[in-house]
Amino acid sequence: MSKALGAHGTPGATTSSGMTGTAPTDPFAGTDATLNARVRRRRRSGWARTLGVAILAAAIAFAAGFAVGRTGPGGTAPEHAGTAADTVVVGLKLAPVNLDIRRQSGNAVMQLLIGNVYEGLVGRDSHNRVVPAIADSWDIAKDGLAYTFHLRQGLTFSNGDVLDATDVVWSIRQMIERQYYDYEQLDGVTGVEALDDHTVRLTLDTPNANLLWYLSARPGLVFDQDAHYDPKTQAVGSGPYLVSDFVPNDSVTLTANPNYTGRNPAKTHTVVVRYLTDANAAVNALTSGAVQVLSPIDEQLAAPLKNDPAYTIRAGNGSDKYVLAMNNRRAPFTDKRVRQAIRYAIDHKQIIAARGGADQPLGGPIPAVDPGYRDLTGLYPHDVAKAQELMRQAGYGPDHHLTTTLTYANTYGTELGDQLRSQLAAIWIDLKIDYVEFSTWLTDVHQNADYDLSLVDHAESHDFEQWADPTYYYGYDNPRVQELYRKAMAATDEKTTDRLLAQAARQVSEDAAADWLFAYRVTTATAQGVSGFAADLSQSFMPLWNLTYVRPAEGGAA
Amino acid sequence: MIGTSKRRGSAVRGGPAVCGGRAARAAGAAGRTLYAVWSRGGGRAALIVIGVWTAVALVSLVWTPWPLLATDGYHTWQAPSPAHPLGTDGTGADVLSWLMAGAATDLAIALLVALVAAVWGTLLIAAMVSRHGALAGTAVVAVDALISIPTVLLALILAVPLGASVAVVVCACGFAYGLNLARIARPAALLAARSAYVESALANGASGMGVLIRHILPNSLPVIAVQLSMSAGTALLAEAGLTYLGVGVPSGVPSWGHSLTTSVRFVTVYPAAVLWPGLVVTVAVVALNLLGDALRDATDPAAVGSAPPADAVEPDGTGEVRDGR
Repeated sequence: MSKALGAHGTPGATTSSGMTGTAPTDPFAGTDATLNARVRRRRRSGWARTLGVAILAAAIAFAAGFAVGRTGPGGTAPEHAGTAADTVVVGLKLAPVNLDIRRQSGNAVMQLLIGNVYEGLVGRDSHNRVVPAIADSWDIAKDGLAYTFHLRQGLTFSNGDVLDATDVVWSIRQMIERQYYDYEQLDGVTGVEALDDHTVRLTLDTPNANLLWYLSARPGLVFDQDAHYDPKTQAVGSGPYLVSDFVPNDSVTLTANPNYTGRNPAKTHTVVVRYLTDANAAVNALTSGAVQVLSPIDEQLAAPLKNDPAYTIRAGNGSDKYVLAMNNRRAPFTDKRVRQAIRYAIDHKQIIAARGGADQPLGGPIPAVDPGYRDLTGLYPHDVAKAQELMRQAGYGPDHHLTTTLTYANTYGTELGDQLRSQLAAIWIDLKIDYVEFSTWLTDVHQNADYDLSLVDHAESHDFEQWADPTYYYGYDNPRVQELYRKAMAATDEKTTDRLLAQAARQVSEDAAADWLFAYRVTTATAQGVSGFAADLSQSFMPLWNLTYVRPAEGGAA
Repeated sequence: MIGTSKRRGSAVRGGPAVCGGRAARAAGAAGRTLYAVWSRGGGRAALIVIGVWTAVALVSLVWTPWPLLATDGYHTWQAPSPAHPLGTDGTGADVLSWLMAGAATDLAIALLVALVAAVWGTLLIAAMVSRHGALAGTAVVAVDALISIPTVLLALILAVPLGASVAVVVCACGFAYGLNLARIARPAALLAARSAYVESALANGASGMGVLIRHILPNSLPVIAVQLSMSAGTALLAEAGLTYLGVGVPSGVPSWGHSLTTSVRFVTVYPAAVLWPGLVVTVAVVALNLLGDALRDATDPAAVGSAPPADAVEPDGTGEVRDGR
């Protein structure tokens, strides 16, 4: 996501929940995926007849659901038992507003399309490392000012057009010229040229240690300059899948690209992605067999499934950081002692326990999947006595309470605010909670920095820059951190970057610029027989090519 | 029998000859009505529940089993135990304490909504039975038009300037229920307004406001009381619904709607957690509705068989006014 909008979620995505109520009654939500496919095919031939079939199918599906209860995905035709399914249904939460990945913000569109429908110059693995994609290999000049990419040969787009260096150059130039979403990640790129049909060179005016990683997301995507299509509802890419059907806020059907000659050919013919905004409806879809993968699943709702052999529940690592921001420009948070007291007073382990225990403590601004991560949880252990001492030094006490306001978006639930109010009461802070719409939060807090305390999930990876930018809403201004970050980005080897970022992160944490409540880990549930779904980082990158589903033998799941 | 005496009481009050001792008579009438309600099964149950509710609300102002701020992340969604008789919620807070404190908030909301509805409804009634034809006609049309606005929509609009607050619930519900009240009480009020004793009072120089307070409102009181009781019950449901939508009682303020909202998400995993607030809201709403029914029975002359059958207009009002003639 862009630098300007480093927070999780988008206004568009949060307002697109109008279809919630329809999800469980989707007439195409049969327990049998092949039946689904058949119903879908008929749907295009004749509406009136299809409607009848659909209603019947829904009635049967409901009846079956009531009759067999939570049998999981076992209720399928016997001849499929033990064989790989040609359709897998994946349940997700936030739907993309449209498919125009060059203009549409939000993680949902990246999650769906990158690596599946569009491929970039380079890709990412589930450890957040850059791996070859369209480029088989690359060379970086010693001064870090030139990157030469050697493209894989024989690639085509899904429409049959050849993919070569001219497409790569055109895509990156368009990105910069037309200022497509995240174009500022290519700041410093001064030239893009094709050396021959299969070699592309990027030149920079300043080194950028994040460039390769940026190129594994939107800025590196390659588009066909000769293709004509509506990018909001269609996609022509070079990935292992094609978008064969897009129903906004409901589902996207991906079918294997028959022309694919890249590294990651699809293992399953059809992957249907369904968007289930209601947490309970999503779990019902999983237990009724309407979806075989659910990511994310509400951790507490997943609890009863943990002992059920028909499902595998995993928490995946990600870059989500729940940050308790303190307005470093506004009293009393200009006083380091108050900020430190708040960090000592918060019992992070208890907050994590209340959420179900899957999340990880996080003591600083860099998550475990990013360069520069070190375990900083020891800097501010839970210590109420120390916190009280610091508050006393800052002039507060049992007779002089500090009244302040925590502003956060209502998408995060009331529990976090209630717990913080309870924990901070012990150090004489009377916490008022202003529970606002996400769009209000974006304007008041993120844009105008008009707040005391705030709480948000900073979901992005490689986003340390926000601590080196004194105009960001934290108002955190430490020249040493800014200098370390500048050097880290200018470094041309990964180890130096990692070391410098770690130093900067430690400084930010020691300064108590904010508190990091926990690193959110997304819980994913898969039905027995599903493999190849990477739980790590799945909220921004969800490669589906490796996904397979082998139906368990009949009766095995009941 | 009780109903008959009440009817006589209010008939006398409505009569033009009565000048002094109104307060005492009114107090006596209220006492008789209360007794009449108490003597009915449903009414007695309603009064007991409302009494307990009020007592709990008052106690919660000074004492709850656990402080409301006490949370315990290691013991969330606990089943009932001696330490937590109704278990704990998603933050590990004591459910009973939050429900007790919620009783005070919800009692305040019910009373405030009834108050706003009463004042607003009375103003509308005054306009609708006004002797100025244009004003009365406009008011009738306006009420009919405004009554079509859904309460939820109104609350969502009010939440834009007010944010999530008790004021949203009180204003939205008070406004909507005031309209209902005016519409239902209008026939009774109109009959009183056009009666011979009002003509005579006006001829004797009584002001419009005086007539409204002395004659029209007392004659409409039974209808108004029933309607207000129902409104208070509906206000509780509205509070729960609006809080669930995020425009009702703000986060951190205890209310039954808050307790419902925080537990309803996990109804499939912890069904017991949603049971208690749901039960409390149900019992309170049923009590207020029963109170409304009992009030109507206690003040409805048709129920005791001595009044002529209802004709074109609302039976409660008709009996009163005919008797007054």
